[in-house]
Amino acid sequence: MCFKTLPVEFDERGQATLRGGIPNPYDVTVAKPDVGTTEEERTARIERLMARNGHIKDLNMDPVTRIAGAMAVHVTADLENRAYLDSHAVATLFRGYEVILMGRDPRDAIFVASRACGVCGGVHAHAAAYAIESAMGITPPPLGTVVRNMTEAAEMGYDNPLHLYLLAGPDYSESVVKTTNPELWPKAEAWSCPNAHIHGFATMADLMTALNPLTGALYREGLEFTRLSREMVVLLTGKYPHPENVVPGGVSTTLTLQALNEYHSRLGKIFDYAQRMMAVWDDIPTFFYEADERYQLTGYRPSNQIDPGYWDDPYAYDATYANCNAWGEKRWSTPGVVIGGELLTTRLTDINIGWEEFVEHSYYEESSTTRFATDPLGNPLSPYHPWNKRTLPKPGAKNWKDKYTWACTPRWDRQVVEAGCYSRLLMTATAQKMPESRFMTATGSSMRFVVPKGETGEREVEWRVPEKWNAFERNRGRAYHYLFSQLVALESLLQAYDLHRRGERRVAALDPEELEKAIPDDERVSVGWWGAGRGWLTHHLVMDKGKITNYQICTPSTINASPRDPWDQPGPYEEAVMNTPILERMSDPSDFTSIDMLRAIRSFDPCMPCTTHVHTGAGEVVREVNTCSCGGD
Amino acid sequence: MADRQTRTPALQARTPAQELLDALGPVERFHDTEEVGAFGLPSGRVTEDMLAGGDETTAATRFGPLQKIHVFWFAGMSCDGCSVAVTGATSPSVESMLLGAHPGLPRVVLHHPVLNMESGPHYVRAAEQAMAGTLNAPYAVVLEGSISDELAAYATGGYWSGQGEEPWGPDGEMRPVTASEWIARLAPNAAAMIAIGTCATWGGIPSAEGNPTGAMSLMDWLGKDYRSTFGVPVVNVPGCPPIGDNFTETVAAILYFLQGFGPLPEFDELGRPAWLFGETVHRHCVRGAYYEEGTFAQEFGDPECLVEVGCWGPVVNCNITSRGMINHVGGCMNAGGPCIGCTMPGFPDKFTPFYKRPPGSFASTTVSRMVGSVIRPLRKFSNNHLNREVRWDRQGATPSGFGREKAEPSALAEINHKFYDMLRRSGDRGKAKADVWGKRDEAPSGGSPNPRI
Repeated sequence: MCFKTLPVEFDERGQATLRGGIPNPYDVTVAKPDVGTTEEERTARIERLMARNGHIKDLNMDPVTRIAGAMAVHVTADLENRAYLDSHAVATLFRGYEVILMGRDPRDAIFVASRACGVCGGVHAHAAAYAIESAMGITPPPLGTVVRNMTEAAEMGYDNPLHLYLLAGPDYSESVVKTTNPELWPKAEAWSCPNAHIHGFATMADLMTALNPLTGALYREGLEFTRLSREMVVLLTGKYPHPENVVPGGVSTTLTLQALNEYHSRLGKIFDYAQRMMAVWDDIPTFFYEADERYQLTGYRPSNQIDPGYWDDPYAYDATYANCNAWGEKRWSTPGVVIGGELLTTRLTDINIGWEEFVEHSYYEESSTTRFATDPLGNPLSPYHPWNKRTLPKPGAKNWKDKYTWACTPRWDRQVVEAGCYSRLLMTATAQKMPESRFMTATGSSMRFVVPKGETGEREVEWRVPEKWNAFERNRGRAYHYLFSQLVALESLLQAYDLHRRGERRVAALDPEELEKAIPDDERVSVGWWGAGRGWLTHHLVMDKGKITNYQICTPSTINASPRDPWDQPGPYEEAVMNTPILERMSDPSDFTSIDMLRAIRSFDPCMPCTTHVHTGAGEVVREVNTCSCGGD
Repeated sequence: MADRQTRTPALQARTPAQELLDALGPVERFHDTEEVGAFGLPSGRVTEDMLAGGDETTAATRFGPLQKIHVFWFAGMSCDGCSVAVTGATSPSVESMLLGAHPGLPRVVLHHPVLNMESGPHYVRAAEQAMAGTLNAPYAVVLEGSISDELAAYATGGYWSGQGEEPWGPDGEMRPVTASEWIARLAPNAAAMIAIGTCATWGGIPSAEGNPTGAMSLMDWLGKDYRSTFGVPVVNVPGCPPIGDNFTETVAAILYFLQGFGPLPEFDELGRPAWLFGETVHRHCVRGAYYEEGTFAQEFGDPECLVEVGCWGPVVNCNITSRGMINHVGGCMNAGGPCIGCTMPGFPDKFTPFYKRPPGSFASTTVSRMVGSVIRPLRKFSNNHLNREVRWDRQGATPSGFGREKAEPSALAEINHKFYDMLRRSGDRGKAKADVWGKRDEAPSGGSPNPRI
């Protein structure tokens, strides 16, 4: 393991130290990544083109719909050369959840943090619980961890079809394709789907018609299946999207046999549905690549991804930072960082100490600190690390050269990384460290799954690491992730049955009175590593004298929606849009719908509610900002 | 600044909404449609037109005056959880409402950022038309999420919660338009203003202590005197998240009333649908009887009443224990989650820290423990008796292969049960002396007088 940019070295045990003799080793002018194009070069190129080309348009898509939350994308499009020359992703909402959490009792964190996002429901409640447990030293009993895994697997069962059929699906529907690319329609009518025997649509045109919003069969079925999975979730949590059952040290679910059986009875239908889902999202890329191979570049960006893993081993997870590399690698989905297609590490501590967040282009005041020079194990930390971060919100005017978004800029080893649920497949497949399973195998370059029989028969399927990560592969990966998550649901259910059979009923480590007494007085730092429907999720916590003194959430869409960093590297959405060729049919510039950009953006499954309230500092500073703002009042 | 948030509504000459509009000034123009072209319109048509097929109705099947109604859904400081909850609704479901699957329901044209096909300027077009008075039907506005204090952000040239942009800058240049501004501009001519979820109804988590954004509820924003064009104050459907069905049912009920066939929906003094929020959640709680018998969960996961692990159900207005969360499945206490009061105006600050028993429960749990210590043994005694066939009583044996561990009832218990049965059958008209001439004399009830074992 080594960092490419940060001046950090690792010994043979994996312990990290700062390379000696470098003054200000973390300064942005000292440790610099290799940057392809600077902002100045990009601007100069656009100006050159503008001067001789009348078909360059500056357009602002605000709001981008069919994503969760509020987002705008500004593009500079060259309609003659059919390219997006520039792109800025703008998160347009701020709510200040961490500000509200700071200064509170740690017992408030789970229910308050849960409300950070209502799309990926329980994920924030769980991440908060992991952070508190780690800080307070509470280890949940195995059944508590199993219930969490069952909940969170079922949660993905809602999240993936919602995205594929309600949000992204319409972009590939008859109504859209006929408008933006009428030349594809006769091809679609003549194109027999290779997977027709699984999903039941004879031609691509039939399939596209089924993707039409509200009236299409696939759209309606997708909505129904989100409900079925949500029923599975609320059997355990009571409520959706905000669960009522997550407690520090476990869950408060009354895990009756009826609850387990009802959960089981719904899983069978889901495996049938998963087969159809994978068949649909295998056929769509095949058709588009055949129609025009440039679709390989829609939303393309290099294979740089990150994921902290998901779904713990109930017997390995002990909530400690000291053992996190051991229990992290035993997760159903392996933690990891892939840069340039190469897996660099599967250790959570490496993931943690390489993490930094910048606000050069975000509506916050800079306030990195050096409060923690190292993590609890002595590995060096950047002043930009979430434990050191105290970022202060400051609303202001939009300026592409300065600040333009409420999202901030997370980077790992100062590289632009992407988060996605498909990253779980990528890490797990390449690392080959996943626990034994009769349904799932990691081969190094693929994931092999056995789909258990439902009404349709048992079937083996394989997801292969794609050569190019683009919009189509993200959606395909999401369909396979649906199966992955539902197999984790099944494995976890089997664990729950096993524990139940052995008379195990304990789902939480402490009762409410013990919990109150367990809150420590000294200063603690911790991190909850978890996942969301879109991948990566972390909650970094600092508590002191028994209360929360700093709370920092980093979500997958913060990562993906990030603006430029201090070295002008665009964020993943921005980069993906700039790589996207404009393939829609236009007889006139006014026909330009920007569908190719929308496909690129939506393939990330943007979820802005929890992106844009992140990273805030002390409330009173904001009040000062506001006081001068209101004039006479 | 701080003053505006804390002073009482009675002292407020203008509503916060009016203050924002005064600061921003009137608007004169909207997007130039020609300049926009097809940008953001990949289906060639807006969602309203795509779904227009088959919506022609005659007055007879329409039941009432409304052919169509627009619903503008705005997300303020929201987590989108209310939208998610509504997509889970089943009675009625959102897609059935949009496709008009309910007799008498006018066509609902929903403008929702998570569902619509069009993006950018085409998405905000209908809201522009509503402001200009050129929309082709009446409209209602739904707010999810709290209203943010945009005056604070505006003064530094920014915003908290933006949705779309309009050429409303000082010289007609584009500037971000906030959800708060849209609401303030659309409210006066709306047929109804509906707040969904606890953020929009009561401020919720974004307005919790220590918040930086000055978040508030829709009621606080529009003021006590607000009335829609149909004369209705702000309607509130709380919950964090709300039960999806509570919302879709309320909207449907209002529409049925407007069409002339539904009864006037009753709202309580805080604008909640009274038939949904009139009871405390404890009254329909599946664990309520544990409270009555004085048995309480002590650890998380225990099956009894949750009040001592932090449940506020006895003092919270909600219907989740009877309705469930989705498709009648789930419900907080049903699954083991203590009520944290998420439907209440006092949420969250009057319920924290969580996982701690409400102090008010000490008196009532003590009383119920005392009463329960008497009631429980009596009930157990009767329950044992009722767990026996009459035949087993007669033959003095229970032929269960599962090995009933308890011995047959003692002589004293037999006497007690006989006495109890006597009490039960007092007034039983079957004991009257009339001759049952319609049937022959058979074995007495309970089977053959000489049972074979």
